[in-house]
Amino acid sequence: MRHKIDEDIQELIVRYRPIIAFRVRKALGAQNTDCEDLVSEILSQVLEKIQTGEFRGESSLGTFVYTITSRRIVDYIREKTKVMKYAPEPAPFPDPQETLEVAEMSDRVKKALSRLKPKYREVLYLYYYQELSRDEVAERLGVSTRKVSELVNYALKLIRKELKS
Amino acid sequence: MSKCKFEDLIDGYLLNKLSEGDREAFEEHYFNCSSCFEQLQERDVIIRTIKNNPALLEEKEEVRSSALAGLRKELASFLTVRQLAFAGVTALLVLVIIFTVIPRHQVPAPNFFLSDEETVRGSSITLISPVIDMGQVPSSFEWKKLGDNIEYQISISNGELLWKATTRENRITLPDEVKAKMVPGQKYSWQVKAFGPDGSLIAVSSRVQFKISAD
Repeated sequence: MRHKIDEDIQELIVRYRPIIAFRVRKALGAQNTDCEDLVSEILSQVLEKIQTGEFRGESSLGTFVYTITSRRIVDYIREKTKVMKYAPEPAPFPDPQETLEVAEMSDRVKKALSRLKPKYREVLYLYYYQELSRDEVAERLGVSTRKVSELVNYALKLIRKELKS
Repeated sequence: MSKCKFEDLIDGYLLNKLSEGDREAFEEHYFNCSSCFEQLQERDVIIRTIKNNPALLEEKEEVRSSALAGLRKELASFLTVRQLAFAGVTALLVLVIIFTVIPRHQVPAPNFFLSDEETVRGSSITLISPVIDMGQVPSSFEWKKLGDNIEYQISISNGELLWKATTRENRITLPDEVKAKMVPGQKYSWQVKAFGPDGSLIAVSSRVQFKISAD
């Protein structure tokens, strides 16, 4: 029985750690050195609440973990604001501590990008780099918004193909 | 693989474009939907790679855009209030020049004379008489002269052609035998066509009706 619970806990950690970490990094900025600690803290809170029976299955486990994560992030920002006067400003485009896996993925994306036809590069540049809306990109390129979506989706498909190869 | 409706929010979430409500809903969703989370992570790497390596996408667009976007930017900068006002004043000035200064400096149009060999094509002939109802059968028909060296063809009809004749004058006297055919109380119409020296049709009058009163 004890063994079974351990297995469940293992599974839960494997499943939710990356999601919690993603959420925390997005909120605090990846360069924030507190991120790792916060993620661990949230995970132990989740486990504790499950073990003490506080999670009664009224919502899904995902929503339960989400709620704890969000609350902890709000608390963290509140604590920091007291000390720092200003909340830590998350970097708009955090470079997370790049794991080997992410670094490799990024390399593959670069490779895929350099292979794209100019029309796809252009649309990705305007949409993701310049952060224009699909409507604005459409206006820039003189095509329909629908066409922009098609171009973006197809470019993503090509990149994904490279990532999966 | 069926598409999750939240997938469309991935870009907006990563680019911080979602409303607070959408953002929270999407965050709760990816804690529950492993497919969306997987895509979110993947898209995050893609977007971050693009953000950190714009040159990979830029170069091609730069070549074209340096000229094109440069122009675009210049145009966009025109939208400042000051420049807009400047453009307005300039446009007004151009209009003033067009409508006041230029007409004064215009050379008056040369007078138009026709030589004997020349005729004006496509003009019309004004019929002088008869154009109203007549008390008796008219003895002659007259129209305005177009120029010299022109041959006129007159035709009179009352439903069908009654008489046709040509002359170089701008009037013609009706022969007695035609006169005899014309009956009081009837309606007649006449028309003149003008032909140039080379025989080409250069002008046509309108067809004018007149009635000979039946008294």
